[in-house]
Amino acid sequence: MSQHATATPPATETHQEPSYLAVSNVTKRFGAATVLDTLSLSVGRAEFVSLLGPSGCGKTTLLRLIAGLLAPDQGAIEVGGRDLTRVAAHKRNIGVVFQNYALFPHLTVAENIAYGLRAKGVPKAEQARKVENALGLVRMEAFADRAVTALSGGQQQRIAVARAVVVEPSLLLLDEPFSALDRKLRETMQIELRHILRNLGITSIFVTHDQDEALVMSDRIAVMNEGRIEHLGTPSEVYARPKSLYTMEFVGQSSRITGVVKGSSESLVEIDTPFGMIRAPGHFLTGSKVVVGVRPEAIAAGEGPAGEYNTVRGTVAEVIYFGSRTLLHFQTAQEGDRLHVELNRLPDTVEPGSAMTLRWRVDDSRVFPAPTEAAR
Amino acid sequence: MALFGSLFCRLILGLVIAFLFMPILIVLTVSFSSSAVFAFPPPGFSLRWYASLGNADSMLQAVWLSTQIAALSTAISLVLGTLCAIAITRGMIPGAKAVATFMASPLMLPGLVLGIAFLQAARDFGLRDTYTTLLIAHVVITMPFIMRTVLASLSLFDFAMVDAARMLGRSYPAALWTVLVPNILPGFVSGGLFAFIASFDNYPVSIFLVDVRTKTLPIQLLNQVEMSPDPTVAAISALLILGTIVALIVCDRLVGLKRMASI
Amino acid sequence: MTLARDDLAVPPTPVSRWQFDAKALIAAPGLVFMALAFAVPVLMLVGDSFVDSQGLSLAGYRKVLGDPYYIGIIGNSLQLACITTAVCLAVGYPAAWALARIKGVWQVVLFALIFLPLTVSVVVKTFGLTIMMRRDGIINFLLVNLGFIERPMRLVFTEFSLYFGMVNVFLPFMILPLYSVMRMLDPRLMDASASLGAGPLHTFLRVTLPLTMPGVIAGGTLVFSISVAAYVTPGLLVGDRFMTMSQVMAKAYLNIRDFQLGASMAVIMLVISAALILASSYLVRSPGGEKH
Ligand SMILES: Nc1ncnc2c1ncn2[C@@H]1O[C@H](COP(=O)(O)OP(=O)(O)O)[C@@H](O)[C@H]1O
Ligand SMILES: [Mg+2]
Repeated sequence: MSQHATATPPATETHQEPSYLAVSNVTKRFGAATVLDTLSLSVGRAEFVSLLGPSGCGKTTLLRLIAGLLAPDQGAIEVGGRDLTRVAAHKRNIGVVFQNYALFPHLTVAENIAYGLRAKGVPKAEQARKVENALGLVRMEAFADRAVTALSGGQQQRIAVARAVVVEPSLLLLDEPFSALDRKLRETMQIELRHILRNLGITSIFVTHDQDEALVMSDRIAVMNEGRIEHLGTPSEVYARPKSLYTMEFVGQSSRITGVVKGSSESLVEIDTPFGMIRAPGHFLTGSKVVVGVRPEAIAAGEGPAGEYNTVRGTVAEVIYFGSRTLLHFQTAQEGDRLHVELNRLPDTVEPGSAMTLRWRVDDSRVFPAPTEAAR
Repeated sequence: MALFGSLFCRLILGLVIAFLFMPILIVLTVSFSSSAVFAFPPPGFSLRWYASLGNADSMLQAVWLSTQIAALSTAISLVLGTLCAIAITRGMIPGAKAVATFMASPLMLPGLVLGIAFLQAARDFGLRDTYTTLLIAHVVITMPFIMRTVLASLSLFDFAMVDAARMLGRSYPAALWTVLVPNILPGFVSGGLFAFIASFDNYPVSIFLVDVRTKTLPIQLLNQVEMSPDPTVAAISALLILGTIVALIVCDRLVGLKRMASI
Repeated sequence: MTLARDDLAVPPTPVSRWQFDAKALIAAPGLVFMALAFAVPVLMLVGDSFVDSQGLSLAGYRKVLGDPYYIGIIGNSLQLACITTAVCLAVGYPAAWALARIKGVWQVVLFALIFLPLTVSVVVKTFGLTIMMRRDGIINFLLVNLGFIERPMRLVFTEFSLYFGMVNVFLPFMILPLYSVMRMLDPRLMDASASLGAGPLHTFLRVTLPLTMPGVIAGGTLVFSISVAAYVTPGLLVGDRFMTMSQVMAKAYLNIRDFQLGASMAVIMLVISAALILASSYLVRSPGGEKH
């Protein structure tokens, strides 16, 4: 398992290095439904990329296409410069951790891990050594001769990971590996798995519909929507500078206010909203209907310097107390609008009905074209 | 009143079991009788009818033929039926439900009707070889047993395991062989056992297909019962019963009768 | 050895619309084989019943349905099946009930004892039955020693021996489907009915019987359809004295070589079986015979 030992820290914001996994213009249809629509994705060596999206958006389908368990209708898939589009699944040397692990119940833990080594004709003695290493990697040495059906969910997952990485795959695919675990266990397993895979330096594609999981674990996140990738970027890019309203709303909490562009100066636009004029970075034609998005924690109470800040007044509709922080929902005039504010410390007398002044940096505002009526 | 009802039902159950076993026990008893007539109670004990089996050539030939036909037809049905059941379960073919019903439907037709249909078809197609005709007909007879049990087992099988095996370097057929087959073995064993018995015992289909020199065991047995019933027939029947019990016990050891009965 | 004609276990597939997949070819050998070796011969048989040496004709059906002799034979088969089914139900119902109510190891043992005779060849069992029916056989031995009759009487080739044998061979096919339904019943339902003041007969007619109806239908259909087509047991136990459709079919092909007669008889039997299966699946689905 030393194949990736020389892995460099993953490339993040800038990735000049040639892509290791290249999915180019892949389309997949099931009958009349187009599940993946000319989708492209490139991933660098030793990178850990999450596919994040709601259930049914095509994440598993993309994973199965990369694995070779499905064939694309169009497009190509390359790993390490080798075109795999027409290569059979069992010759791709790609590891997969399945959603419910798909361990073999008729084999013991050690036999499960040795399965791929046997298939590849690795000599017996070497098999035993590698199985032992793999068990050590996931800290399951004591369980080698157990039946897999006797293991807990977390233990089964470790075995599934060990079984997939022991054959030193060129790429590891994980399909919602934590969905069967309870919350507490999930959090420890996330950190542990990330650690193991980083040490192995193995290129991984990780599917999840849980945004927190994606933010915590990934080098980069591909936000998927209806068979397309909406945004591919580092967790902080995706969170702080989402490229689309969809990404902004799917990843994390957000406030959104609809308005009409009144004018622009340099790289700023001025937007007329029910809360008054709001400025935001961007280029839109005067008269366009747009949506302004702001993260709740970017908003603070009170006025700020007029040049750098947007300042609005609002009436509190609801107060939601989380202990370390408090979430305020404000009344809005238009359907679909939300003004949510997250404060660490609450001014003394806030209750539903209180009027408050709020501010946020112009740079923290994001503007997107308003969705058309049909798309809403 | 309820107590009386339940006692009554238990009494009936006991009588039913005694009733069901009567002819079987009679055959066993007669096979050990020292007399050539079937008097009850038998006058004495002997093993002479078992000893005389050594000379019953036509009977032994029939046993051998039936064993071959049953084993071959079960094996062919297992392969063809399992492949078909996989395609049905995975929705690879349209109308999966209808296809499953079709494959299991020979069981619902009267055996004689099937037999006549095979006889006519073999004539029309010019198929003259008795052995081949019998084998083909018995594959049709055994197929429903395989379809039922294998479909039931497959419905509990997680096909992600086959994908997992493929991703670990096995081709699709090798993945089926190393992962699917061991996991649905109980279905194979129970389906295979019942298919084997159904073929081995079949009379109404085979009667139309056998010829003077190629007779399956049920045909040969019935001939003998009709022509010259003597305890030799009882002896061979007793051995058949013994064989069935041994097969059931072996299968029980292999996969557990509980698991078999539930499939 | 099928116990009940319950639905085949075909799980719902994840696929909404079918797409050709090369792996689907694995179904081809089995499907092609069954089409050629099963569907084609059966369809040809149906076709044959409409043809004679001159060409298209209904002579076979005219012969069968226009002749009181053959009508009587069809009647015999139906009578045989009806009586066998009725007796099996009357005896099998309480037996299955007891089997379903017994707990633990005993249930497994008794289940095995009901099941085991099914694995014994019909020819062997019928052979045993003919021995039992002899003048010096066990039935006469019991009847005389228990004082029911003075001297042994002739039983072979009587209708008594026929029905005795038929019930003996087919009873498990009634008990096992009944058992599989009764096992799922919650006994508290019957207790609840009794505690509401219903008498045993009322409880049976209003609660137990309707709930076990699917088992009655499944067992009844199964026993009826195999006994209407039975050949070995009636042949050995009564022979030509009680002709059935099966005897006629076998004779038509094996002795007198009147193929159209045989084919017509076979198609009539096919129609009876098919009607029965359709009727039973309709009954099971309609209210009062609800399956789940
Ligand atoms: N084999 C298939 N046949 C038909 N439709 C499918 C098949 N597999 C997936 N789909 C459809 O494709 C869409 C995407 O599915 P999937 O990739 O499993 O989504 P995700 O993993 O993101 O939840 C869904 O609408 C699903 O119904
Ligand atoms: Mg999925």
